[in-house]
Amino acid sequence: MVKLFGEAKLSGRLETLRAVSLFEQLKARELRIVDGLLHERSYLADEVVFDEGEDGQALYVVLSGEVLIVHPDVEGEGLVARLGHGEFFGDMALIDTWPRAAQARAAVPTVLGVLFRPDFQTLMSTHARIASRIALQLAREMGQRLRQRVDTATQGRGKL
Amino acid sequence: MSAEATPIAANNAPHGEPHSGPLVWAAIISITCLLLFLFQKILWLVVPMLLALILYYVLVAPLQWLIYRGVSREASASIVILVFMLVVVVGTLAAVPWVVSNLANLQSGVARYVDGGTMFMDSSLRGLESSFSILREAHLADTVSKRLAESSGSFAEKIEPIVVGLMTWTPSLLLAPFLAFFFLRDGRRFAKFLSGAVPNAYFERTLFLLHGVDKTLRAYFQGLIQLTILDAVTLALGLWLLGIPGPWVLGILCAILAWIPYVGTIAGGLLVVLVVATDFPNSAAMAYSAVALFGLVRMLDDFVYMPLTIGKSLHMHPLVTVLMIFIGGAVAGISGLMLVLPLLGVVMVIGETLGALVADDRLRARHHHAVALRKHAAEYGLSQPESN
Repeated sequence: MVKLFGEAKLSGRLETLRAVSLFEQLKARELRIVDGLLHERSYLADEVVFDEGEDGQALYVVLSGEVLIVHPDVEGEGLVARLGHGEFFGDMALIDTWPRAAQARAAVPTVLGVLFRPDFQTLMSTHARIASRIALQLAREMGQRLRQRVDTATQGRGKL
Repeated sequence: MSAEATPIAANNAPHGEPHSGPLVWAAIISITCLLLFLFQKILWLVVPMLLALILYYVLVAPLQWLIYRGVSREASASIVILVFMLVVVVGTLAAVPWVVSNLANLQSGVARYVDGGTMFMDSSLRGLESSFSILREAHLADTVSKRLAESSGSFAEKIEPIVVGLMTWTPSLLLAPFLAFFFLRDGRRFAKFLSGAVPNAYFERTLFLLHGVDKTLRAYFQGLIQLTILDAVTLALGLWLLGIPGPWVLGILCAILAWIPYVGTIAGGLLVVLVVATDFPNSAAMAYSAVALFGLVRMLDDFVYMPLTIGKSLHMHPLVTVLMIFIGGAVAGISGLMLVLPLLGVVMVIGETLGALVADDRLRARHHHAVALRKHAAEYGLSQPESN
C-alpha cells in the first residue's frame, strides 16, 4: 500500500543515515536521494581510510564498525577519536580540497558510506533544499567545535 | 568529527591538479594516436557514441531541471528523451512534404550552382593564363575543364552515393538517442559500478578521475557548441555585409561543416564560392571578397576561436591543440580530425591522474598493506595450529 501522507518507513541503511547528525533534518524521500549518492566501501581492521596530509575529496559516514582518528602529535597512542555507527568524519572535504589533518583507520571490519564533494556540489544545484539542510548542519557542527576549542583555550588560560 | 584543519605532509600525495612530466605526455600522445587508429576501424560504433555524448550533454540540463522539481532520475531520463524524439519526428514529418515538393527545384538549384562554380573557376584560370605565359602554354584552363567534364555525371549519379551512405548509416545513427537515454538514466550507476572495482587506497583519486573525465567531456562539447555559434554569427555577419543571399543559412551550414577541422572548412569555403559565383557571375570582386572573408573567418576559427573555446575547455596550449589536429588527420583521416581533441582531453585526464597514482609511494604501500590484510583474513583458520 502506497503511503501518501506522513513519513514512509525507513530501511535499516536509511535508519543509519537518519541517525547521522548531518542528515537528521532530512525527510525519508530526501534521505533516499542522499543514499543514492553514497558509495559504500568495506575496510578490514587496521586498514587505512585516508592519511594525514592527503587531499580531501569526500565525507565518510560509519555505517557499521569503528574508525580511529589518529594523529602522531597526540600523547599516548595518538588517538584523537574513536567513531562508531552513525558518526561521520572528513566533513571539511565537502567544502573544499583541504588536506586531511589526521589519519583515519578502521579499528574493526567496517563499512563506510562515502559522499564525494562533486556529488554534493551537484546536489546543491539539483536539490538545493537537501544540500542547504546538510550545509546548515555542517555549519552547526563547525560552530560547536569552535566553541569547544574556545572553552578549552579559556580554561587553559584560567589555570595559568 | 573533523579530520581536516592543518596541512601536515605525512605522505607525498600531490595537492590539487596533477602535473605530468614529458614521459607521461609522450604516453598520452601515443595512446591518443593508437586509439584514433583503432576507432577508425569501428566508426559504426564510435560515431553514434559521440553523437550520444553530445546529446547527453545537451539534455543533461533539462534532466537536472526535472530532478530538481522532484521527478525521479529514471522518469526524467524517459521524459527528456521522449520529448527530444517527438521533436525530431515532428520536425522530420513536417520537412518531408517540403523536401518532396522542392526536390525538382533542389535538383535544378544544385546543377545551377555547380555550373556557376565551374564557370567561375574557368574564368579565373583564363584570367591567370592571360597574366602568366607558362600557364597559357600549359593550357591550364582547357585541361581543368576537360577533367571536370570527364568526372561530372548526372544529378542522380552524384546523389546516389550520398543516399546509399545515409541508408547505411541510419541504423547506426538511430543508436545515438538510445545510448543517450542510458547515459542519462544510468550514468551515475555506471560510475559507481566502475569505482566499486577500485581498491580502497585509490578510491578517492579514482572518483576524482571519473569526475575529471566527465568535466572534460562536458567542457569540450559545450566548447563545440560555443564555437559553432561564434563561427555561424561571424560568417553570417560578413556575408550579410557583402550582400550575399542567405547569409544565415550559409553561416550555419559552414559552422556545422567546421566540426571537421580543415576538410569541413574547405567544403564550407567551396559552398560559399559556388553561391557567390552563381548569384554574381559578372562580379569577380564579390567572389574574391567572399573567399577573403572565408579565409579570415577560418584563421579566426583555427587560431582564436578554437583555442579559446575547445582548446580552453581542455586546458590545452593552443600550439598543442593545432599540432594534435594535424596528427589526428594524418593518423585517422577525417574521423581523426573530428575525434582527436575530445579523445586527447580524456586520455590527458586519465594519463595525468594515473601518472600521479603510480608515482605515489604511500598509496601503493597502503594498497599492499590492504592486500596483505585481506589475504590474512582469507587464510584465517585454513592451517592447523602447530602442537608443541
